Amino acid sequence: MNKFIAIVGSNSNKSTNRELLKYMQRHFQPQAEIELVEIAGLPIFKKSADKYVPQEAKEIAKKIESSDGVIIATPEYDHSIPAVLSSALAWLSYGIHPFVDKPVMITGASYGSLGSSRAQAQLRQILDSPELKARIMPSSEFLLGHSLQAFDDNGNLNDQDVAKELDGLFKDFLQFVNISKQLNNANVVNKQKVEKFSWDKD
Amino acid sequence: MKLVGIAGSIADQSYNRTLLNFIAKHFEGLVDVEVLDINDVPMFNQDNDQTNSAVIQNLSKKISTADGVIIATPEHNHTVPAALKNVIEWLSYEIHPFDGKPVMIVGASYHTQGSSRAQLHLRQILEAPGVNAVVLPGNEFLLGKVKEAFDENGDLKDQNTVNFLQTTLQNFIKFAQVINLISKTEDYEEEDLSAKEGTDTTIQGVDMNADDWLDQAAKKVHAVDGDTYVKLDSGLLTVNQLDYFLKTMPVELTYVDENNQFIYYNKTGSAEDMLAKRVPSQVGDALDKVHPKISRVIKHVKQVINTLRTGKTDLVSMPVPGGDESKSHVMHYYKAMHDEEGNYKGVNEWAVDIKPIVDQYLHETGQKLVKDPNAEIDATSGASEKPEVKVDVTSSASKH
Ligand SMILES: Cc1cc2nc3c(=O)[nH]c(=O)nc-3n(C[C@H](O)[C@H](O)[C@@H](O)COP(=O)(O)O)c2cc1C
Ligand SMILES: Cc1cc2nc3c(=O)[nH]c(=O)nc-3n(C[C@H](O)[C@H](O)[C@H](O)COP(=O)(O)O)c2cc1C
Repeated sequence: MNKFIAIVGSNSNKSTNRELLKYMQRHFQPQAEIELVEIAGLPIFKKSADKYVPQEAKEIAKKIESSDGVIIATPEYDHSIPAVLSSALAWLSYGIHPFVDKPVMITGASYGSLGSSRAQAQLRQILDSPELKARIMPSSEFLLGHSLQAFDDNGNLNDQDVAKELDGLFKDFLQFVNISKQLNNANVVNKQKVEKFSWDKD
Repeated sequence: MKLVGIAGSIADQSYNRTLLNFIAKHFEGLVDVEVLDINDVPMFNQDNDQTNSAVIQNLSKKISTADGVIIATPEHNHTVPAALKNVIEWLSYEIHPFDGKPVMIVGASYHTQGSSRAQLHLRQILEAPGVNAVVLPGNEFLLGKVKEAFDENGDLKDQNTVNFLQTTLQNFIKFAQVINLISKTEDYEEEDLSAKEGTDTTIQGVDMNADDWLDQAAKKVHAVDGDTYVKLDSGLLTVNQLDYFLKTMPVELTYVDENNQFIYYNKTGSAEDMLAKRVPSQVGDALDKVHPKISRVIKHVKQVINTLRTGKTDLVSMPVPGGDESKSHVMHYYKAMHDEEGNYKGVNEWAVDIKPIVDQYLHETGQKLVKDPNAEIDATSGASEKPEVKVDVTSSASKH
C-alpha cells in the first residue's frame, strides 16, 4: 500500500485544512496510509553562512524521502500560501532536496468561496522551482471553499458532490503515483543535478 | 516625500538591504527613505495574536505615516521569502497599514532573472483585500547578478542602472502624490486636531498645551534669538529684525503646522487690540485647545484644513461674522503652505480688516458704494453655520 505524507499548511489550532487532511486520512484508509505532518514548530526560514537546517526540518525531509507521495493542504492568506508553509518549503530545499521527482497532490481550504485557488496557483509555481522540483499532479485542483461550514460533527464532508470530486481526484493521484514510479529513469540524474545546483553559485 | 523601505530578507547579509540603503543614500535629495528592520517579527499565527507587540506596532506606525513604501524582495523558490510574507500577514490581519498605500517593488537576486517571479507574487499579495496596497504599475526594477553590482561602499557600479532606478523612483513619487491625494479627499474626519501624531519638526518631550511651551520648546532645541542671523530663502535677517518685520505686517498672521499645532502668531498688539484674539500662552497649543469644543466649529476647522491638506484648494477665505459692517469688514484667509516637493506643510492664516482699504480706494478714486438690489446675501455668510467649504476653483491646487 502507498504511504503518503500529508502536510498541514496552517499553524492554526483549529485549522480546516487539518480537518480536510484528517478526513482524507480516514476516508482513504483502505487505499493508502496517510501520515499528517505539522510544520508549526519550524522557525522562519533564514539563510546562514553555514547553511544551518533545523533538526525538525531534516526529520520531515526524511519522512518525505521515504514516502510514495505528498499531499499538501494550504490555506490562503493574502492570495498566497501562508508564510509558515512557504518557510517550511524553503527549509526543505536548503541543502536537502526531499521533493525532487516526488508526486504531490495539492488541496486547500479557505473561509472564502474561492477555496484558496490563488494560493494553490502560487504553490504550483513554488513546487516547480529548481530546488523543489516536485511532480505535481497535472490539471487537477481541489478547492474547499467556505471551509468553516464544510464538515459535519463527525468530520465528514457535508456536500456529497464535493466528497465525490475528492474521491475521483484521489483515485487519479494513486494512478499518478504509480505512473510516476515508472518514470524514474532520470531520477538519479535529477537528484545529482539538484545536489550540485546552488543559488549561491555564479 | 517620506518613504519607508522594507528589505524582504532576514539574512545577516542581504543584497536587497544593500540596495535599499543605496536608494536611501543616493537619492537623499529626492526622497527621505527610512529602511525598516523585520528581523524580530514572530511567526504569524491566528491563535497567538501579537498585533499589539512593539515590533509590529512600530512597523505599522511607520508604514501608516509614510507617503509610500519601497519593498526590495529576494526570490526564494520562485516566490517572496517567508519572512517578508510573514510581516505582510501580521499587517493584514487585525490592522491594515498598507490600505491605500502606494508601494514600489524592487528586487535583487544572484541570477539574470533577478526576482521577477517573486515580484509578480508580491504584486498579487499586496493587492489582496486585507492588504489593499496600491502598487506602482509597470516600472519593474530587477537587479540581476547582484553579487557584482555593488562596489565596496555599497554603491551601484553601473551608471545606467542608477539612471533607470532614478527614473523608476521619480515615477513612483508622482504616482504616490496622486494616490495620496485621491485617497485623502473625503476624510476630513481623520484630521487630528489634538496634534498627537507629530511630524518631523514637532518638538518632542514638551507638553504642547503648556502655557510656557515657547520657552520650554525653545530651550529644548537651543533656538537662536536676538541678534543671531538667520539665512532665509531670499534674505538675511537677525531674529530681532524678523520680529520687527513680522509684527508690523498689515495683517495678523498665524502659523499652524501640518500636525495641526499652532506654533506662531505675529503679535501686533495685545489681545484686545487684535482682530483675531491670540495670547502668548496659546502658542504651541494643539488646534482643539484653541477652538471651542462645539461640534459644528470642530467640523468646520477640520474641513478647512483637510481641503488645504489634500490640495482641493490652496486658499479658503471667509468674512468674520458679527462685526459692525459700517465700521469694519474683517476677513480670514487660510492658505496652504508646501515645501519644494509639494508636501503640505501647514496653514498660513491671516486676518485683515479690508474696510479701511476699500474706503481709501473709494476716497482716492472718487467713488462710492451703493447697495445692489439683486444681491442675495447669505445672512449667515460668516460660514460658521455652513460647514461646507466653498472651493475657490481659480486658486485650486493644480500646480501640485
Ligand atoms: C531556499 C532558497 C531558494 C532560492 N530560490 C531562488 C529562486 O527561486 N530564484 C532566484 O532567483 N534565487 C533564488 N535563491 C537565491 C536568492 O535569490 C538569493 O539568495 C537572494 O536571497 C539574495 O538576496 P539577499 O542577499 O537580499 O538575501 C534562493 C535562495 C534560497 C536560500
Ligand atoms: C492574514 C490572513 C489573510 C487571509 N487572506 C485570505 C485570502 O486572501 N483569501 C481567502 O480566501 N481567505 C483568506 N483568509 C482566511 C483564510 O481562508 C482562513 O484563515 C484559512 O484559509 C483557513 O485555513 P485553516 O482553517 O486551515 O487555518 C485570510 C486569513 C488570514 C489570517
